[in-house]
Amino acid sequence: MKIQHQANTLNVSDVLELGAANSGSFRDEVRAALPEKLDAIEIDLSQTRFLDSCGLGALISLHKGAVGHSGGITIRLLNPTPAVQQILELTRLHRLFEIVRR
Amino acid sequence: MRDSPLQPSPCTAFRLSLACDLAEVRPAAQLVREFLAEQGLHEEEFIPCELAVAEACNNAIQYASDSGRQQPVIIEVVCNCANVELRVQDHTPGFDLPAKVRLPKRDSERGRGLFLIRTLMDGTTYLRGKNENALVMVKTRFHQGRHPAPPGPYNWEEAKQRLEENERVIRHMARELCFRSESLSAIFRCSSELGQTNNLENFSRRLLNDLLHITASDWFVLRLILPGEGRLALFAASEAGFHPEPLGLSDPVRSFHSVEVEAALYRRDVWFDTQRPLTADDPLSAMWPASTGLVRPISSGETLIGTLAVGKNSPQQPISSEQAEVVHTFVDFLALEIVNARLQEEQVGSRLVSHELEIARDIQQALLPRSLPQLRGLGLAGFCESAREVGGDFYDAIQLSEQALLLVVADVMGTGVPAAMFAAIVRSLVRAMPEGTRQPSELLARINRHMYEQLSDVDMFITAQLAFIDIKKRSLKAASAGHCPVLLAAAGRRDIKILSPEGVPLGVLPDAVFADETVKLGRHFRLVLYTDGITEACNANGDLFGQERLSQWLEQAIPLHSTADQLKAALIAELAGFQSGSIPKDDQTFMVLAEEGSGGTSRARKRPR
Repeated sequence: MKIQHQANTLNVSDVLELGAANSGSFRDEVRAALPEKLDAIEIDLSQTRFLDSCGLGALISLHKGAVGHSGGITIRLLNPTPAVQQILELTRLHRLFEIVRR
Repeated sequence: MRDSPLQPSPCTAFRLSLACDLAEVRPAAQLVREFLAEQGLHEEEFIPCELAVAEACNNAIQYASDSGRQQPVIIEVVCNCANVELRVQDHTPGFDLPAKVRLPKRDSERGRGLFLIRTLMDGTTYLRGKNENALVMVKTRFHQGRHPAPPGPYNWEEAKQRLEENERVIRHMARELCFRSESLSAIFRCSSELGQTNNLENFSRRLLNDLLHITASDWFVLRLILPGEGRLALFAASEAGFHPEPLGLSDPVRSFHSVEVEAALYRRDVWFDTQRPLTADDPLSAMWPASTGLVRPISSGETLIGTLAVGKNSPQQPISSEQAEVVHTFVDFLALEIVNARLQEEQVGSRLVSHELEIARDIQQALLPRSLPQLRGLGLAGFCESAREVGGDFYDAIQLSEQALLLVVADVMGTGVPAAMFAAIVRSLVRAMPEGTRQPSELLARINRHMYEQLSDVDMFITAQLAFIDIKKRSLKAASAGHCPVLLAAAGRRDIKILSPEGVPLGVLPDAVFADETVKLGRHFRLVLYTDGITEACNANGDLFGQERLSQWLEQAIPLHSTADQLKAALIAELAGFQSGSIPKDDQTFMVLAEEGSGGTSRARKRPR
């Protein structure tokens, strides 16, 4: 997993899978990388071949933290794979996150 | 190419065991995915399977019991052309799989696993056992027509390993199939017997002996709650010598512990084994001290019917999840049969009762005189209405001469055929002994002597009122065997005379003595004899009609109605008005005798009120 910070945006990429085994560390690593001043977190899901309910939990946890952040931070999910997109839709979370294809 | 249903579809299987560690789940789910891909499944099929298996394993690991954490989680996959069955065995305390899984609130971080499984899979069942459960998930294949990928060049070891795995899975499936087919055939066998024998006890015993055989158990105890009792009474047990006391369910303080009572009160399975053995004071432990097993409550809808305890004598082989499933199936079936049998019993019972009531009603109707004697100047009318539960009321009028008449009103205490039979005997005795009829007290004493023994044998008694009327002497002689008084009114007199001569009911004392009360009959007299069904008639508020109301009615009815028939109709109307809406509980009987000469009545009518 790669985390880069540029122009008030935190880019998270190379997430191969997000499941019970790594969702806790994923959440903690992203949280630890949050700078003082931030507008958005962009999580690139184009490489993510697996997402389960624990992974969804980690995304929701980040979202809750972001909403509570001063000024508010937007969380964008970039280019989710079809399988991940399906899970997001099944659990109605595609309405909670901003899903972007670029 | 689609398989025709007659051809056995090729079936492949895969078994995987992983340590109770979340880190093991992903690689295991990936292996499942690879296996399914090898079987020619489409991506849209194996990706949901991969996720469902992962979710099931996550739950199995997160909720594992203390001892369960030492045991592996087992994944079994069986794949054929039509569907994929995924089975994840856990060692958790288990949970109740809801019929519908709802999504949690949007910002909840948990609670989506089961939802995903339910949504992605086409069928989900959860088999519960003692500390060992299995979540069975089925995915229907829709991308058919693709052949499985040709098997790659296996090396010898790999092939041998695969073969062993397949054999293990097939053995497991065969065992389960065997359970199910044995359950079914046992149920069918017992059902067909039930139709012939109609004996619930034998039926239950046979069915449960089959259950012991199928589940490799040693004993059973079936207790049922008898209708109307809050107690679990033994109905059938594998051991003929086991006769435990009934178990009360509503006792506030119980001095002992019983797994059967626990299962009944909490409406859930209660297991007993080496970790949670039967307590020494448990009624089951007297017979089977160191056994393992479970008690399952038997219910029909909300109603608890009883409990079934099934146990094994060897603590090394506790009841497995499949065996528990068989117990559940049998209990469901048994519940159905018990409810059916009870319904049938009730129906037969109510048919018998209604038939008996019909006979009793016929007898009672036959006892009533078809026509009443006609004496010059006298009008006579009688009324007898049977209650739903026919009692033993009757009336009779016997003409003794041109100017003498004997009236009888009697009430046999009791209902149904016996009461009607005794009424018939009383009527016959009165009619057979005309010599004593001028002396009603003597007649009652004789009838009592004749009937005392039979009546006291069955704890029944009869109240009766005799009235001997001699028009020539213008006298009335009345005697009563514990019966309601006679009401006598006369034209020109406001007051009603109430005659209630001394006397106990027939069948109470062997040598009872009765008294006669003699009065003069006034001009245009009216006489009313009745049974307590009249004075005890109830209105909707539960008030009784009462003797006072009856007297008052007679008082004000006399100037209005001149004949016995009119008075009868008026009293019927008065009673109907009073008890409108409520159903009479007792027979209602009365007789009216009225002197209907000319002049007297018209004068009575002219009397100002």
